[in-house]
Amino acid sequence: MSDARILGTGYRTYSGPRLGPRHAVWTLTRHTFERIMGLRRPARYKVLPILTLVIAYLPAVAFIGAIALVPSRRLGSFIPDPGQYYTFVTAALMLFATLAAPEALCPDKRSHFIGLYLASPLTRTTYLAAKAAAVAGAVVLVTMGPPLLLLAGEAIQNEGPRGFSGFMTMFSQTVAAGAVLAVMFTALALVIPSLTDRRAFASAGGVLVLIGSAAISGILSFGLRLGDGWLLLGLQRLPFELTTRIFDRTGLPTPSRTPLPTLEVAATAAAVTVLAAAITWWRVVRATVTR
Amino acid sequence: MRADAVVKRWGTTPVLAGASFTVGRGVTGLLGANGAGKTTVLGLLLGLHRPDAGTVRVLGGDPWSSGPDVRARIGYAPEYDALPPDVAAADVVRHIAELHGLPRREATGRASDTLWEVGLGEERFRPVGTMSTGQRQRVKLAQAIVHDPDLVLLDEPTNGLDPAQREGMLELIRHVGHELGMDVILSSHLLEEVERVSDAVVILDGGVVVAGGALAELRTSGDELIVEVDGGAEQSERLVDELAATGIAAHTIGPGRLVVTIAEPTMLDVVRDTLAAAGMGVRRLQARTASLEEIYLEAAERGRAPR
Repeated sequence: MSDARILGTGYRTYSGPRLGPRHAVWTLTRHTFERIMGLRRPARYKVLPILTLVIAYLPAVAFIGAIALVPSRRLGSFIPDPGQYYTFVTAALMLFATLAAPEALCPDKRSHFIGLYLASPLTRTTYLAAKAAAVAGAVVLVTMGPPLLLLAGEAIQNEGPRGFSGFMTMFSQTVAAGAVLAVMFTALALVIPSLTDRRAFASAGGVLVLIGSAAISGILSFGLRLGDGWLLLGLQRLPFELTTRIFDRTGLPTPSRTPLPTLEVAATAAAVTVLAAAITWWRVVRATVTR
Repeated sequence: MRADAVVKRWGTTPVLAGASFTVGRGVTGLLGANGAGKTTVLGLLLGLHRPDAGTVRVLGGDPWSSGPDVRARIGYAPEYDALPPDVAAADVVRHIAELHGLPRREATGRASDTLWEVGLGEERFRPVGTMSTGQRQRVKLAQAIVHDPDLVLLDEPTNGLDPAQREGMLELIRHVGHELGMDVILSSHLLEEVERVSDAVVILDGGVVVAGGALAELRTSGDELIVEVDGGAEQSERLVDELAATGIAAHTIGPGRLVVTIAEPTMLDVVRDTLAAAGMGVRRLQARTASLEEIYLEAAERGRAPR
């Protein structure tokens, strides 16, 4: 007969490592990213992220396939460089940002789970930083991934920018543009969810703000010819105005055919981002946890 | 844990008006009527609010200025429903353990162990939203203790529970405070449940602490003695008279029972001698203890009395 015994496996005191507040921030960032991407969740939560990634990456894959199969002289300017690629992902990017950001903030408020977060080593500021990092991480998959994939595909097939320095320039521009888009869309996308605890309202509100601002700025500028400056009100346009400058291009089309001044574009983009972040921070700071 | 002359206002409404108290080891009940400021006290202990005046020290630190470090050693179960309904209980508890600094592997193991400990071992992979109120309260308790904190704050943990569930929850709280070695602050407006599991109480009324300390000490008035003798009302009235003759005040509280006021310890000897001289059979001779309800009502009354 064996001497083996089953010992109690109930609650025991914990004497292992405790990793501190930084680990809490990382844990929340990873957890939120997983929720946004539908990881460890039922299949229905994976549909939107997968669809968005397919929309974003499919053109890049198709272009790489075209480069591989068709002689480059026949393709001519049909293949975009990474700076021109954003045209293909604009819709996916706006959709993803406005649907992913509510997933990051709204459920915590609706279920009051934010109270447990703020009773942990997180502070309100680190809570928001972790949430923003998770949203930005998800958005970067759309803003940086496909252009980099296209750039890599072109480079492997000896297409695209000439020489190592040309490649590195385009690579750094792509990374910078992807980061700028991620930061701006994250800041813009978090504002509405910070004002409500309903995901549907937040998503609809986000889409309305982006499309509404585009419509209003277009009417004022292109329709009523009140001046090119009104185009800066278009929140869907502003980030892409900035990325065209990063890729050394003059800017998006305007009614007067004169590009918007870079300084005005950069200043407006910075102001909008800071304002959006400030509103979101203010809302999180004011969130009632216990009373 | 110590609070000194803490003042906290919400807008122009004062919630705490100079509350001072100390909390020691074991289970401490934080008592007060609804709106007495119990939840505000818990928020101050967690460093979620800054006191308008006074100081709060928790586990050797100031929870407002050292919030993350202090909160890493505290477990908290709020009064309200605070769990995401679409997430499995094990995932919620593991997530909270990780937030409090446990590595993922340890957090996963401890989440499972803790849910077994609170009686939800078989249910741990069910989404919280599909659980009963009693089960959700147990998940809240599990997430509060999963990281083996030094201090556990429980805000009205029996809210919404039926009598059987309440019984089970109180047993768990007693287990956490007395057998798992964590100090517990149990906020409640239900005197009976606090009395059953607590070693000490802090009673809040009108924004101040009107009574506080070890429950055993509070319950013993110290200056009153219950005497129960054979012979019913006739004998107890005779004893009242004989004690009065020696200068000791007493009054009957039932047939054969009386309460004797002991102004100084030597009076105990006088009572003994009087009983012996009268030849009465003594059934009971005991310091009078008050119920928590009596303590609470008396303290609240004292607190409201004009000063």
